Amino acid sequence: MSWIRTIDAATVEGPEVLGAKAHGLALMHRLGLPVPPAVVVVVEACREYLRGGKFPDGLRDELADAVAGLGARRVSVRSGAAVSMPGMMDTILALEPTEEAVEAAVAAVFDSWNAPRARTYRDLNALPHDLGTAVIVQAMVFGDRDDRSGTGIAFSRDPNTGAPEPYGDVLFGHQGEDVVSGRTRTLPLQALAERKPGVWDGLVAALHRIEDHYRDACYTEFTFESGELWLLQTRPGRFTGAAAVRLAVDLAEEGAITRHEALLRVSPGHVKLARTPRIAGDHEVIGRGIGACPGVASGRIATTVEEAIRMAPDGPVILMRPETSPHDMSGLAVAAGIVTERGGPASHAAVVARAMGKPAVVGVTGLDAAQGELVTIDGTSGVVVRGLAPAVADAAADHLERLLAWADDASGDRTPRGEAERLAAAREALRR
Amino acid sequence: MSVLHAIRCGGYSGVDRIAAATGLDPAAVESELIDLGVAGLVTRIEGGVWGLTDAGRAADAENTAAELDAAGARPAVAAAYERFLVLNPELLDLCTAWQLRPVDGVVRVNDHDDLAYDTRVLDRFADLDARAAGVCAALAAALPRFGRYPIRLSGALKRVAAGDLEYLADDTGSYHAIWAELHEDQLATLGIPR
Repeated sequence: MSWIRTIDAATVEGPEVLGAKAHGLALMHRLGLPVPPAVVVVVEACREYLRGGKFPDGLRDELADAVAGLGARRVSVRSGAAVSMPGMMDTILALEPTEEAVEAAVAAVFDSWNAPRARTYRDLNALPHDLGTAVIVQAMVFGDRDDRSGTGIAFSRDPNTGAPEPYGDVLFGHQGEDVVSGRTRTLPLQALAERKPGVWDGLVAALHRIEDHYRDACYTEFTFESGELWLLQTRPGRFTGAAAVRLAVDLAEEGAITRHEALLRVSPGHVKLARTPRIAGDHEVIGRGIGACPGVASGRIATTVEEAIRMAPDGPVILMRPETSPHDMSGLAVAAGIVTERGGPASHAAVVARAMGKPAVVGVTGLDAAQGELVTIDGTSGVVVRGLAPAVADAAADHLERLLAWADDASGDRTPRGEAERLAAAREALRR
Repeated sequence: MSVLHAIRCGGYSGVDRIAAATGLDPAAVESELIDLGVAGLVTRIEGGVWGLTDAGRAADAENTAAELDAAGARPAVAAAYERFLVLNPELLDLCTAWQLRPVDGVVRVNDHDDLAYDTRVLDRFADLDARAAGVCAALAAALPRFGRYPIRLSGALKRVAAGDLEYLADDTGSYHAIWAELHEDQLATLGIPR
């Protein structure tokens, strides 16, 4: 039994063996895209480890040989299960690849499969505990090497609207974890086109090639080191709501998928979400965070509960706090929307905002706005813009209408019904 | 728990909420609030909710510190707080899982139409609550006023089990809200700023 595979164009096993992340890397190799050299410890090795409490026979030697074969001065060691468990497991970056250090890192990733949060996640989502994760050991590339280096994430289309243009964040002179952690202010991906046109061209070409393969929007993580582009991860885009509707209709009209496939890709739940209000048009973005409760709210910024309560009778208020606690409840109650500087989708503010059904953006660092200033927040995309921005609930109306017309063609039912019901009937007819 | 301290931990509160936190009946709470108002320690704002004044906040900090020192309870409360901090992220994760759920890799609002999923979340809450009860028992052994929290927490879960779903994370008497008060109480008691 061999526990390790080199990831290259010839790596054809499925995600159940390699994990989803390594499977995506192998795909990018086959598409001729630049991927830093990597090896993957297969999922079965993790299962053996979890069963026996030690590395299976032979893994240690294979790992030493494989890592030596990478010829890298620094490596990353990442989890990569067959199922998505976002942020639940360990990652070790910039490791000096001595035998001992790599073994310890692989063991740490294996162990993180059973971290309490990971176990809770699997319990809740009915995922078996004995699946295990693959581990990818990859040569590091450095986005902070020099002024021609950087890192970012990119979607082949806009995940907020489905619009057919690349979308994402870029950070010049930094490493990838700085983008994900939100510690550093990122720039819109288009900044790459202006500052590093060569890298931008390579990235756009890569996004097209991956999208053509998936016949779906894609998500990638990338780094460019001294002007050279490297792709570190890819997966399908997993769009929701209005973006899912527009994507499916556009792909069908571009001929990438059939109308029937389009209908099967959009769930009735997405159609319900497609009417979620969103900020319309272009506005000055003064802060970005994580959308914690969907919807749009405009109002004047209050930075304390007392101010919020005082200002509320005169017009809508956006409560902006470093984070929230029970003390903020009265302020949250009178506010039209909520912005916090710290915390993620499971923070106190996020939980309360969803309970109250109020648009909320959390984890906004360095917001450029003062007490009393008028702002608008979008709890789907997580942006804060200056001034009163209009909200629209039908940004995908044209696309939705076309999709529902195809749905009625498929079901043969043209009686008046709700939108979600029309789609559900078509999907049922197509699956019969 | 005193009325003053209940407002300190719960933030602006109405009479019923203070009554639930203190275990006093609403008439007694109201009478105490009037006395505290006259003393300049609390103030009534729009909507009939009461909040602390700066003087009230200072008075509560003084009372709480004196109580902690008199009981010699600082080490025990600090140790219990360490244990609480281990449970806190799990509580927030579970509240989030109650409100949102991943479907095909995409996080959606939980519309509570999947009984099996909701049951799994509630089972985890019950498990967490049993462990939280251990922390509350340690706190209550050090300072008896903490003894109301486990009763209120378990009571909220019972209401959810009986079908009042808003008592998990939505209501001011929800498990999440009581938990947040318990968190705030430990910070206030130990004098740890937010």
